[in-house]
Amino acid sequence: MIISKLKEALICLKAGRVTLPYPFAPHDPEDGFHGRVVVDAEKCVGCGGCAEVCPPRCIEVTDPSPEKRVLEFFLERCTYCARCAEVCPEDAVIVTKEFETATNDLEDMHMRVEVFMSTCRRCGRCYEPPTPLDRMMVTGFRPPTGESEGA
Amino acid sequence: MAITVLEIVLSLVILIGLAPLAEGLLRKFKAIIHSRQGPPIIQPYLDIAKLLVKEDLAPTDNWVWRMAPALCLGATVVVALLTPIGGAPAFGFGGDIIVFVYFATLSVVAIILAAFASGNPYAYVGGSREMMMALSVEPVMAIALFVAAIKAHTLTFGGILSHSATSEPSISMAVAGIAFLLALQALVGKLPFDIAEADQEIMGGPFIERSGPGLALFRWAMHARLLIFSAVLVSVFVPWPHVGIRGLSILLTLAKMGVFLTLVGLVDVVNPRLRIDQSMGYYARIVVFVSIGALALAIVGH
Amino acid sequence: MTSAELIRRRRQDVGPAIESVSEPVPGKVRMAVAPGAVVSVAKALYRDHGARFLVTAGIDSREGGNGFEVDHIFSLDKDKIFFILRTSAAAEEPEVPAITPEVPAAAWAERELQDLLGVRVEGLPDGRRLILPDDWPEGVHPLRKDMKYGDWPPLGDENAEESYPWKQAPEGTSTVVIGPYFPVLEEPTQLRLFVDGERVIDCDYRGFYNHRAIEKMGDSELTYNEIPFVSERICGICGFIHSSCYCETAEEAMGIRAPRRARYIRSLMLEIERIHSHLLWTGIAGHILGFDTVLMQTWRMREPLMWLCEKITGNRQTYGMHIIGGVRRDISEECYPEILAVVGKIEQEWIQFYDAVQGDTTLKARLVGVGMLPEETAKEIAVLGPTARGSNWDIDARADHPYAAYDEVPIRVITHPDCDNWARVVVRLEEVLESVRWVREGLKQMPDGPIMASDIPEEVPAGQWGVCTVEAPRGEAIHYVLTGGDNRPDRWRVRAPTYNNLQALPSMIKGETIADVPIILGSMDPCFSCTERVEVVNVRSGEAERLDYQELLARSRAATERLRGRRGGRPWQ
Repeated sequence: MIISKLKEALICLKAGRVTLPYPFAPHDPEDGFHGRVVVDAEKCVGCGGCAEVCPPRCIEVTDPSPEKRVLEFFLERCTYCARCAEVCPEDAVIVTKEFETATNDLEDMHMRVEVFMSTCRRCGRCYEPPTPLDRMMVTGFRPPTGESEGA
Repeated sequence: MAITVLEIVLSLVILIGLAPLAEGLLRKFKAIIHSRQGPPIIQPYLDIAKLLVKEDLAPTDNWVWRMAPALCLGATVVVALLTPIGGAPAFGFGGDIIVFVYFATLSVVAIILAAFASGNPYAYVGGSREMMMALSVEPVMAIALFVAAIKAHTLTFGGILSHSATSEPSISMAVAGIAFLLALQALVGKLPFDIAEADQEIMGGPFIERSGPGLALFRWAMHARLLIFSAVLVSVFVPWPHVGIRGLSILLTLAKMGVFLTLVGLVDVVNPRLRIDQSMGYYARIVVFVSIGALALAIVGH
Repeated sequence: MTSAELIRRRRQDVGPAIESVSEPVPGKVRMAVAPGAVVSVAKALYRDHGARFLVTAGIDSREGGNGFEVDHIFSLDKDKIFFILRTSAAAEEPEVPAITPEVPAAAWAERELQDLLGVRVEGLPDGRRLILPDDWPEGVHPLRKDMKYGDWPPLGDENAEESYPWKQAPEGTSTVVIGPYFPVLEEPTQLRLFVDGERVIDCDYRGFYNHRAIEKMGDSELTYNEIPFVSERICGICGFIHSSCYCETAEEAMGIRAPRRARYIRSLMLEIERIHSHLLWTGIAGHILGFDTVLMQTWRMREPLMWLCEKITGNRQTYGMHIIGGVRRDISEECYPEILAVVGKIEQEWIQFYDAVQGDTTLKARLVGVGMLPEETAKEIAVLGPTARGSNWDIDARADHPYAAYDEVPIRVITHPDCDNWARVVVRLEEVLESVRWVREGLKQMPDGPIMASDIPEEVPAGQWGVCTVEAPRGEAIHYVLTGGDNRPDRWRVRAPTYNNLQALPSMIKGETIADVPIILGSMDPCFSCTERVEVVNVRSGEAERLDYQELLARSRAATERLRGRRGGRPWQ
């Protein structure tokens, strides 16, 4: 019994102190870490593919006017699965390594991207660019039905 | 007279005032074994200070409930005054060993009474466990001290200490010392014998309904027990080497106490909590017989 | 015995009562029988063929004109057969006979059927509510299709006394309430122990305090490819198991299979998850016993593995690796040495740790001979995973129904004959070493190739089905998917291992002391994420606190109202 207790104590002492002085010293995650996403508004074409695949549905797409499409990211609900980055045809969604997202102000977790869309001269509505959607090759694509809104 | 006052102040400062520091050092020691940073060593002081200014929520108006923390810490202060630290205790008088044992038990009784007064089922379980632990451990302490009293033919700590300064170590004292050491772990309520509190089983047992100043006083009393019982162990059973100078003998005693408390801490970190029946079995069947053996040896003169 | 033989034997017994038999994949049989024959077939499966009851899935098929369908899922482990026994009930006042008297393991599943689908189960020994809250109105059943996801029934009477019909405390005992919130139960559940002094005479259970309605979400809100991410959140520790299980099941229902490399990656991550889950469990078991050194040290050993997961998948937990048809991220060759180094270090330290605790008499004093679960009882309740294997029952989904890459790289099933807490500890300690061996072997044999299937159908026809089990660290998880229209399953049934294991608790704690209850509960590695409920109702114990109940109820309701108002009636946001 004493021997096993000594063995246990030995295992403990051999390890030494392992806790890191975080947050006083930085602790960077590995490459490929799924941190907070940012959107490069220059690249975004407004296809809305990210909103379609987002499992927690934290991306909302609205068209306030025929020329303008607004993508809003409510990142407080983000689960960091990086599906949006995966399907983005233009690589406009970038997964950063930022993980320190605690905040007192929810607005910090909101991101708004406005995309100006070219419109069809005849009907005045946005072109739905077909190529990026074709390139997504996502099964499970489903247009929002809106039936459950307010249910 | 001035010396007595000084002795009293010294006893209180060391045994009561430094008690949270001892607990803090033990926690730090535990943290090292756990491979982590651990809290600052003054954390127990901060805990007590915080608790003292917090609201005291009472589940009952029972006066036993209200009195118990003061009773517990009060009894512990009296015990501290009767505790020898490398020399005769500050408040020493004829028969002080008996009073010491009584008051040491009284502080536990206060915990048990408060537990039963709270009306909480977990506190009931905790209180009865505390009672069973007291019934099996306090006799060991009493018998071990009684062995020392028989050897020195006196019932005062002062007498025992002056006797040991002039006599050779004996077998009965060594055996009694071992019994006291085995009891120490339970007397200070450390693993594997922190059965009464058992956070994971009964959520703090007797203290489950406690908050604020009441809890602070109980905590402080529990910390003080760490120093009090290790001081008794060191002064009575491991008095060597004898140094004439009072100040030096206090420092030496504190150093020896540190060694024993480290041992307590080490046992604490490498053991799981025992069940109450297992620890009762351990004390009632093994340790009590060790102490009774020491008593028998002392009576036949070894 | 083959499935053809099994079907033939059943035809002999109840021939005319059999309505249809289908076997879309060899070894997965679904037999529909008339309600009158269900009990005798279930009895024959359980008694004569040694089949293990897995779960019951109720399906609301009233839209298709079939009333309610009830599928009892059995597994014939040694024959590698899943047998689904289907019966149906009328659309109005549905009723099916209970199989619980013959197959005791079905107790909770049938109570759940009664709660969530409103199919009355005739002859159920304990017909109390299992999942629905006490104040849930009669006649409202959340899994019926006419109740939309996000609908809220009118709340019950606020002034009603606590209405759950708890068992009466036996004569001469007092009641100790454990939970809903208790230090070593990380999640809400309530146990009422009827104790005499320190000894537990009997107990009663009430759980499902935090039901998240995930199954409902799966068949009314989510699409096929969203479910892997939601199913991963069924459990915080073994999430990957649920997403694997769902993907394997859905792929089977769609008639596709993930490429070999994807299957190897799945198995690899499953074994890594098992290692870190067992390390976590060992720490918690130590903590329950007050042995915090074990907690700190096992979690220290575990940490590099968590960083490795982060590196491989991008997330420390809930990896989000799965998608129907394969996995989303490949493991690069450069990562192999690091994986081997991390698991090698764990193996080395684990052997030392195992060696140390084997001689630890105080630890053994708390574990040996405590929480006995004899093999017969284990089989009767159909416990799973290490809880079953610690009772000398060699069931393991990895060996019995190989999935992912376990058909190519088999696993050794570890059992222990002692049936006590210590046996369950030893099984887990050794499984860590076995998983390390698998990781090595799997990496060695890892094939090259694509990680996504190329033949994923654009449209999934309705009415196909699949069933799969995956061995989680706690036991086997089962998913059952029936495809439907609208790009989502018609029914997605999940059963996590704790659902079964928890039913064994009463027989394990009877006669033990209060001090042993936490560790006995801990020894089965309970995961209450597996047991869920809709809204928070806080029930406090004891006479003195009884007054607070109404206020707590009112407060929690006010909070619920607030949340509903803020979220505009869309509870998933």
